[in-house]
Order: sequence, then structure tokens, then C-alpha cells
Amino acid sequence: MKSIIAVHSYKGGTGKTSLSVNLAASLAKRGRKVAILDLDFRAPSLFSILKMEDSNLWINDYLNGASTINKILQETNGKGLNKGKLFAGLANPSTEAIRDMSAKDRKWEMRALGRLLSLRNTLLKEQNFDFIVFDTSPGLQYSSINAIVSADLVIVVTTSDRSDVNGTSRMLRELYNLFEKKTGVVINKILDANLDSKKEELNKRAKEVYQVSLLGLVPCFCEVLKSQGNLIFVEDKPNHPFTKIMDEIATRIEKNEI
Amino acid sequence: MKKNDILSGKKPLNILEKIKENLERLNDKMEVMIELQRHDKKEIQSFPDASLDVMTLLSMPDHLRKTAMTICRYGRATAQEIANQTSRARAVESAYLNQLVIMGYLKKERVGRKAYFFADRDNQE
Repeated sequence: MKSIIAVHSYKGGTGKTSLSVNLAASLAKRGRKVAILDLDFRAPSLFSILKMEDSNLWINDYLNGASTINKILQETNGKGLNKGKLFAGLANPSTEAIRDMSAKDRKWEMRALGRLLSLRNTLLKEQNFDFIVFDTSPGLQYSSINAIVSADLVIVVTTSDRSDVNGTSRMLRELYNLFEKKTGVVINKILDANLDSKKEELNKRAKEVYQVSLLGLVPCFCEVLKSQGNLIFVEDKPNHPFTKIMDEIATRIEKNEI
Repeated sequence: MKKNDILSGKKPLNILEKIKENLERLNDKMEVMIELQRHDKKEIQSFPDASLDVMTLLSMPDHLRKTAMTICRYGRATAQEIANQTSRARAVESAYLNQLVIMGYLKKERVGRKAYFFADRDNQE
């Protein structure tokens, strides 16, 4: 089933971008046509992870009405994607662009919402994309709420950090519920060494706290940290346990089992 | 010609269509009046340059948010189309849509017998 997925979190540094990229790559690996869009205009990072630093067309231009989405999307040259295709729409990392995006008014944000909503028609219907993944900025701000409103599924990435747990559960109650969005939680960077034996218990506890579907439990893998953002595990390390978890989440999204 | 029209039933049909159209317009006006009365006029604040952005959506009461969200997704729709999505009655959606028009968040346009509602994003400069 074709869908738009927004990856969001309450706090920064939870692993949203890493998860977005790996999920998008995992979906593309199955022969799907996928677009990943960086909507974190305050701290753009997709260009760096995908090593597409020479770009000169940005999602900012699309939202400003200065360009079509077709001109902005660039195909990534990911490994092992088989017949699948992964396209990226990057956010402009220049200080001037970040300043410009943070000074937008309500009217601009309303038009930006319209442009994000129209991607369903342009990309999913007309250009036969199967999935659009929005990598959003953390917390409650216009760009991320615009992405949530435009999406079919919201994946919330959280950690076991106390303030993150509190903030995430509040956000679930006061934001996603109000918009009646299908939501799944991924708990990332779990430090528990005996995760396998505690999975059941963690699953139960997470469901009690968040009261939404638990999409995945991701241990804190030293290899992921050591790679310093240089690797896309789904593409570069297809047999790594992190990749396996990403593939499991992608399967559930593909089968709409959330 | 006129005799033929009457015989073929075209003219009575046209008259009935006109009556139905006028009744629908009356119905719309009554729904607006009922909404205004229900909220004692003062409660429905009108903002001439109101924008239907996400923060506004968040601050809306649940029943209006559902309608406004559906319009956002559709871009332009009739009360019936919105009702099909929200599984609420057409008359209910019509009342909510008219309320959103009064508040300044939506625009309404009549094309023949149908009334279309939309968020006027492009003219908001």
C-alpha cells in the first residue's frame, strides 16, 4: 500500500535521520520507488548522510514555490537496491537558508502545508512512487507538524531517557491523537545488554506508557556509533542486526501491520 | 417548441431543478443562521485574514478540526464529499463548513447547484 511516512521525535539526537534513511533504503531494496525528504530545516543532515553535498536545488525551493518537486528530487546511488529506486529531496544547510526558514510566518506555513499535501498526488499518483519518507525536525514546530498532518503514518523515535519518555507520551496524547494519525513507536539506543530476554517485558511496558503500536526495539550498537554517520547500514552492512531490525520495521510498514 | 418541451417533460424538470437549487441555497443559509444562533454570534469570532495553518488546526475544537483536516487533504470539496470521509451526516458537515467560512478559515464558491469549500492558500500573500 502506497503511503507517506513522517519520522518524528520529541527530542533531538534520537536517531530520526538514521532511521529514516535506513527505512527508506530497506523499502527501496524490495523494489519499491521511494523518496526521502529532509524537512529538518533547522539542522539539515540528509545531504551529509547521503553524501550529496554538491546539490544546488533544495526542498526549501519547492516549499517557497520557486521550483517543482521533480527538479529537486535526485536519485541516490545506493548499493544493493536491486530494481528499487531511492530519491532524495535535501534541505538547504546554508546559514542563510536556515535563518530564512526560521523566519517564515503563518501564511507561508499554510502554503507549505498545501505543497506537502499535494505531494500525495504528484508523487504517489502521477509518478508512481510507493513511499515518501519525511525526516522531520524534533518537537512541536511548524515544519514537523505540517509533515505529520500530511502523512498517513507517524513513526516516533524515542530513547529510554526520562525526559524523552515524558515528552513523547505527552506529544502522543496532545498532538498525534488530535490529528487522528496512525502512529508507531521505535525505541532506539537501548543500552540493556540482555535485550533479547527482556523484549516481552519492554514491549509490554512501552505499550502501557505510549498506548500505541510498538514498531521496534533498537539496541545501541557500537558499530552504528563508530561508523560516525558514514555508513547506511541497510545498504553497506546487509547482514548486521541493525539492518535486520530496519527490515522488520519496513516489512510491517509494507504490509500495513501497525 | 414550447408544447414539445412540456410534452417531453423538459420544462417541468427544469422548474423542479430550479426549485431544488433554491431550496438548497435556503438550507445553507438556514444552517449558517442556526450556527450563529447556537453560538450566540459572539462565540464565533471572525478573522478577516485567518489562515488555516497547523497551529490553528491544533487549537480548534475536535468537531471542527476533523472537518478542517479533511478539507486540507482534499483541497476543495462539497459537504457531501467531506461527509463521505468523516462518516458524519451531510447537514452536520455543511454546518461545520459554514462555521469555518464565517470564522474566515475557508472560502465558499457556488458552481451551479453545488457549493464548494476550500482553504484559499494561494491568495494569502
